[in-house]
Amino acid sequence: MSAEARLEIHLRVLSGRVAVVDVASSRRVAAAAAFAGRTADAVSRLLPAVFSLCGTAQGLACRLAVEGSDTLSPARRRALLAETVAEHGTAIARDWPALNGEAPDLAAAKALRAAGRDPAAAARALIVLLGAAPDSILGDAARVLAWAQERDTATARLFAHLVDTGLADFGTAVFAPMPAGGPPDLARRLAEDGESYLARPDCAGVVFETGPLARRHAHPLVAALMGQWGNGLVPRLAARLVEVAAALADMLSMETTDDPPPPAHATGTGVGVVEAARGLLAHHVELAEGLVTRYRILAPTEWNFHPAGPLVRGLTGAVAGPDIERRARLLVAALDPCVACEVTCTR
Amino acid sequence: MAVPSRVVAIANGIATVEAFGDTRMTSLMLLGDDVAIGDYVILGPGGSFAAEKVSEERALEALAFMAEVLASGQA
Repeated sequence: MSAEARLEIHLRVLSGRVAVVDVASSRRVAAAAAFAGRTADAVSRLLPAVFSLCGTAQGLACRLAVEGSDTLSPARRRALLAETVAEHGTAIARDWPALNGEAPDLAAAKALRAAGRDPAAAARALIVLLGAAPDSILGDAARVLAWAQERDTATARLFAHLVDTGLADFGTAVFAPMPAGGPPDLARRLAEDGESYLARPDCAGVVFETGPLARRHAHPLVAALMGQWGNGLVPRLAARLVEVAAALADMLSMETTDDPPPPAHATGTGVGVVEAARGLLAHHVELAEGLVTRYRILAPTEWNFHPAGPLVRGLTGAVAGPDIERRARLLVAALDPCVACEVTCTR
Repeated sequence: MAVPSRVVAIANGIATVEAFGDTRMTSLMLLGDDVAIGDYVILGPGGSFAAEKVSEERALEALAFMAEVLASGQA
């Protein structure tokens, strides 16, 4: 059995439209059960190594859970922002150009991945990717459209391509953004429900979308773009640009010295919730005499790539031209799974 | 989970890496020149790029945990 998990999305086309979207996931959503028997400190050390791409968020969700806290200290918040910049920055610099047949900007990707060490260099890399200061572009929809049509950078040309080919609103469907702090029943369901909740979460039947668009849908630019193109591709990608720019601005202005963290509880139950780059990440821990007796993790990919989640909602009913697989891959890239994702189609 | 993979060969910025007996090729272009044979790297989704270099201690700890998860058959 391979240790590397993946998602497989299969589209079934009937009468020229996507009738059914099947999602198969080999993600080991219950792997955290194997933390049982370790100390809380050992788990919080191990998590960043085991979940490297979101390792900071995983480590922090663990600390909040074992400390019984719901607030990140300034230094922890800065570390989380750096990971958000690194993950979205890598996508913008390395993966987005390929969506439009262009070469990646690896120098910019490297600088954005190193945002924690050098946020000023990361901010300069974002300016290179956009071709101008983020504030000068991400102010309102008209400026974004003008910037896209000037086509000065690969990022702008991707936006222009989506607008010009009628894909700006591709994937528009019912929008159910994750509430701030998570669903109201999160703690209870993490404690009481079986593994099916970790694999296919919901809240009273609603499968929320989590991540940049859910967090930023009230931002004036994102709201304006959603007014034009719903929760389609352009508003989704714009929300990620807004998020990276905002995270870098926060990092450059914030205080980063901390008091020593509180100790982990020895006994009891805790939930730690953080907004990771890809969305809401929740940890549930049960401790007895300093050792973990039960550990559960609910990750953003399980909401966004849920069989009734935003990807499936966005694809179901779509007109299936000859390029439906490519359009589906664009929506997958916009929703940004944390594992490889294959798209196939039968007609 | 992100699987730490051990670099077994490097040629023209492309590393051959191994994890759990599987060998694959991955680009080192995001990591620069500081990766050597024997180092451990984490691959990004899909595996075409190495996203991060990790210490041997951290890699072995993570691999031991993953072996435990695989052996236990956790879904």
